[in-house]
Amino acid sequence: MPDFVRLLRDFFVSIRLTVVLLVISIILVFAATLAQVDLGVWGVQQKYFHSFFVMQEIPRTGITVPAFPGGYLIGGLLLINLLAAHIYRFKLEWRKSGIQLTHAGLILLLVGELLTGLLAEESFMRIDEGQTKHYSESYRQYELALLDLTNPAYNDVVAIPQTVLAKTGTIQHPQLPFQVKIKDYYPNASLQRRSPAPGTPPARATAGIGPNITAIPLPLNPKESEGNLPVTFVELIGAEGSLGTWLVSPALSQPQTVVYQGRTWELTLRQHRYYQTHTVKLLNFTHEKYAGTDIPKNFASRIQLTTENKSEDREILIYMNNPLRYAGLTYFQAGFENNDRTSILQVVRNPNWILPYVACLLLGFGLIVQFGIHLVSFSRKRATT
Amino acid sequence: MKLHLVSLSLVLAALPFTGCRDQKITAYRAPKDPAPVVAPAAPAQMGPSATLPDGHPAIGGEAAPASAPGAMTGNVPTAEGMALLWTAPAHWTAKSLGAMRKGSYAIAGETGAVGDLAITAFPGDTGGLFANVNRWRGQVGLEPIEAAQIEASVQNIEANGLKITIAEATGQANGVSTTLLGAIVPHEGQTWFFKLIGPAALITREQTAFREFLSTIKPR
Repeated sequence: MPDFVRLLRDFFVSIRLTVVLLVISIILVFAATLAQVDLGVWGVQQKYFHSFFVMQEIPRTGITVPAFPGGYLIGGLLLINLLAAHIYRFKLEWRKSGIQLTHAGLILLLVGELLTGLLAEESFMRIDEGQTKHYSESYRQYELALLDLTNPAYNDVVAIPQTVLAKTGTIQHPQLPFQVKIKDYYPNASLQRRSPAPGTPPARATAGIGPNITAIPLPLNPKESEGNLPVTFVELIGAEGSLGTWLVSPALSQPQTVVYQGRTWELTLRQHRYYQTHTVKLLNFTHEKYAGTDIPKNFASRIQLTTENKSEDREILIYMNNPLRYAGLTYFQAGFENNDRTSILQVVRNPNWILPYVACLLLGFGLIVQFGIHLVSFSRKRATT
Repeated sequence: MKLHLVSLSLVLAALPFTGCRDQKITAYRAPKDPAPVVAPAAPAQMGPSATLPDGHPAIGGEAAPASAPGAMTGNVPTAEGMALLWTAPAHWTAKSLGAMRKGSYAIAGETGAVGDLAITAFPGDTGGLFANVNRWRGQVGLEPIEAAQIEASVQNIEANGLKITIAEATGQANGVSTTLLGAIVPHEGQTWFFKLIGPAALITREQTAFREFLSTIKPR
């Protein structure tokens, strides 16, 4: 065996690697727990765990460098370490079956976490009593949607995600009769009315409501509870030239439209939408409290689930710890608003949801087998002495 | 030593994966959005800019569909899981939120005078107390005050664990004697503004109601 391959093998099957990785994990979890004060849960997840490296900025330089191994790197190496050791030392023995099952469960758990991180999508559906919705919205991803409103029955939508907006530049899409020039994108900004005072710099927007508003860029806020308010400046360019520049932000409730070549287009910056093939109608929302207190006891949404072809049309009660699983989605009761007349459902698409359950079963079964074997052999020894 | 080289090369090999997933432009046909059934506020009796000082254009201001009468005189949960609750006096009329408001009320006086209460919230300190008080003074045509005078010009109260700074300015707007009563409430990294503006006589009459209203503000 060549030296390098042997070296690689020794590295990966080494128990020292396991110990080092576990120690690094403990440090990572400790650092992440402290960082939660400033970053919030989601920010910490992204920075420390859903990353190969914890990136840190060198003070006063603006340069970001990898400062510590991230969750994916540690988890990935632990997985390789576990697999390598398993394969290298594997012997088909009855006495070791429990350990092997436990290890298989652990491997499945690590793989499951990786797949969940890569594949799971979380969104929410905010729905009023009596309202019917066919989409859920992303918590953090925004998109610039250009809606062709001309047909009274439906909208033709071109959605440009925030990652594309952040790059700025000009977009020519076959569904659009004009070019879309993203002039600027602020992931977080504060909107203020433009001062009418003389000497104020000219507005960047020339059409819609934008000429009356100033957008002040703010640093990105990682705290989920506070959120960010993105703003983008978009110029539409038709065959005859510029149609104008719009300031678009989710804070503007007034729709901004433009008529071009006989079609009416709306520009809106909104949370990314996930459309479903079924609709959810909120029949009623109930919010029970413990008697004489404001302490919540139970939240429940009675919904009507209807598919396009009416093959499914039924009432379902979603409440705490009793989600609805349908069409690969899980609807959890997540919150409420508007004096208990609006329900917020968390909508999770996780094709991998079953894996952690299987992994835990394997882990538990493996431990029972291993301890069982030891118990039997101990009892036998005891009986013979 | 060789073992360390292996770990280093593995770490370097993982570096390209530090980027995040990219998204693409999508085009699709979608049904029209359902109309909101629960309105955030009752329909407006007047445009949101009706009592704004000269030079302030209306922002947003599309009237929301009607909600149950009187629904907004009780506890008002703020939109998007926002963090403050309040109880408005019964004689204030809730109106459409417009683009930037978290709460919006019209206060009717004699002979058609109308006061406007706007509740807004922004991340950070939005320039701080000094800048905001002077901005408000500017809205009623008053000269800015010096930084040294700022503490003496405001009143600080506490309600339900919140620190509330109240400022008052009386001047001229649109040729009418106008009073502005403003309260600044920092909470969880955001700054909330409660601004009552209108004809001086009406706002003076509403002083007590406004202060009682401020005392009802509480974290969600």
